[in-house]
Amino acid sequence: MKTKKAPVRRKTPAKLAAPEKVKIRQLPTGVRGLDEIMHGGLPEFSFNIIAGAPGCGKTTLAHQIIFANATPQKPAIYFTVLGEPAIKMLRYQQQYSFFDPAKLGKAVRFINLSHVVLEKDLGGVLEEITREVQASNPSIVVVDSFRTVVRKALGGESELALQAFIQRLALLLTSWEATTFLIGEYTEGEARDNPIFTVADGLFWLTQNAERNSVVRKLQLIKMRGQDAVPGLHTIRITGDGLQAFSRTLGMVGRKARPARTRRLSTGVPELDKMLGGGILEGDSVLVSGPSGTGKSALATHFLAEGLRKGEAGIAAIFEERPAGYAARARAFGLDLDKPQKNGMLELLYLRPLDLSVDETMQEILDAVKRIKAKRLVIDSLVGFEMALAPGFREDFRESLYRMIAALTGAGVTIFTTVEIEDSFTQMQFSHYTISFLTDDIIRLRYVEIDGQLRKIMVVIKMRGGNHSKDIREYVITDEGVVLIHPRQTEYTRLTTGLPERIGQLPPELAPEPKAKT
Amino acid sequence: MPKDFARCLLVHVAAVSKPASDDTSAAFHICEELRVPLGKMLGVEGFRSLLARAQVLASVDVPWLKALVIEQDGSFAGMKERRLRLDARATVDGELALVGHLLGLLVVFIGPALTLRLLHEVWPDWTV
Repeated sequence: MKTKKAPVRRKTPAKLAAPEKVKIRQLPTGVRGLDEIMHGGLPEFSFNIIAGAPGCGKTTLAHQIIFANATPQKPAIYFTVLGEPAIKMLRYQQQYSFFDPAKLGKAVRFINLSHVVLEKDLGGVLEEITREVQASNPSIVVVDSFRTVVRKALGGESELALQAFIQRLALLLTSWEATTFLIGEYTEGEARDNPIFTVADGLFWLTQNAERNSVVRKLQLIKMRGQDAVPGLHTIRITGDGLQAFSRTLGMVGRKARPARTRRLSTGVPELDKMLGGGILEGDSVLVSGPSGTGKSALATHFLAEGLRKGEAGIAAIFEERPAGYAARARAFGLDLDKPQKNGMLELLYLRPLDLSVDETMQEILDAVKRIKAKRLVIDSLVGFEMALAPGFREDFRESLYRMIAALTGAGVTIFTTVEIEDSFTQMQFSHYTISFLTDDIIRLRYVEIDGQLRKIMVVIKMRGGNHSKDIREYVITDEGVVLIHPRQTEYTRLTTGLPERIGQLPPELAPEPKAKT
Repeated sequence: MPKDFARCLLVHVAAVSKPASDDTSAAFHICEELRVPLGKMLGVEGFRSLLARAQVLASVDVPWLKALVIEQDGSFAGMKERRLRLDARATVDGELALVGHLLGLLVVFIGPALTLRLLHEVWPDWTV
């Protein structure tokens, strides 16, 4: 009887069992924010298109990429073709801070192909590019504008010839280990069935829209083979440093879970702290809403000054008042915002260019938070913030605000936001923006008519994660700032309507509200 | 400043290029040397335009420069014949004016830093 042999298991070499995947190296773009959008940078040896209408920043983007990567050993070749003359390109581009004249010539080489495009067919153009690529062994190749090459091709050659040219060009540049960028003025409709877009590994689409008085520039990574990228439209801005990109998910990526909140922060108004059960929980987002003149900014200043007194750095993003005016008003309450600014403990960010995006504002604030290690942030006010945004960005205000608050509180910052609302005498609103869900705590300030005076009351509407007083308290604004003056009113009902009814007995003589010193 | 650059460069080029018996002047030599890198960067037409503008500007002070012809490839024609008919002083004036204006145009467009960088690429031993 034959014994059944146990099957012999072949040992598989470890290398074959788990072959290593090719690792695609990523190149820095040199554009702040863009590497984050691309989850690390540009895939090496990729064949890319930078498309968009004139004035979107295509050439500047390409220049930033080449100056960030080119070295004399692995230079960048910038082919110019019947577009902006190279002499003017150099004239304008050297104004940007990233432009390094020392790289010109050896690391960054400009080559004009205009005469070749005019005089030769696509084969001749490819021959010239090949010659230059083989002579320089570049790490990056840019053709600006490739659209001109295509136009020339379509003028005299078949579409098939164009497709073959692009295919051969892509093959050549990839084989020579070059990361390539073809720049073209394309409209969105042209992307369909276009052989260039089919061959491309990456497609950077830049747009520029004028909305009323502002210009909004956006970047979209429509295609990116071999790696992930943040989808959607990202705001870009062109400054003296070149392009800066603001990811649609700025602040959300790599966000830490909010730390366990146990510490309470004083608002600087002792009676308000009591109403808040001991103060604001650290990392909370507080919304203070009320009509004009009720002391929202004064409360915000108390909050900042109290933090500074305890050694906590703070930031105030102000939109309606200039820093000098803001500090002067604080001074009137005996609160010093000048010295902490000089000491680097406080930054008053005045943001009012009227074409901001929330992402840019958020970046400014996040940078400032990082810079001075801020623990407290005041946004004064949401109405001013919205006004500072370009009209196109106002549509996404709520979503953007959500991201901003989540990002900042996630970083452990306690946010004190003010919002102006009109007092209605039939209902009590918290805010126009329906953003109450974004905030942990809500403090409502309002006017009430009592005994022939327009007085001010304050109530804590909501406090996530803690109990709070339900009292409606009267307060005044004096030379000491916001001062709560009476215990809760039991003489009146319907205080929240602004038109209360007396239910208690009339006191023999009513003391008028103390006046602030002028 | 471009004129000082030009004077300095002409002296350098005259010293390092072929002997004076050669039929090419220092200015011609400079234009020829610049034609290749500038033509590559700006395109032949771009270089030709700059040179033509420099010629017109320089001709105001040195009329004999008007007679020079710029070929399609950006090179000068007629320099040799002209020089033979001129005295040394007139030649030097013409060369200085032409190169000075060419460098001047480069400085206007791309600035002194890039212009100097470009000249150093062509004449690495040259010092201002």
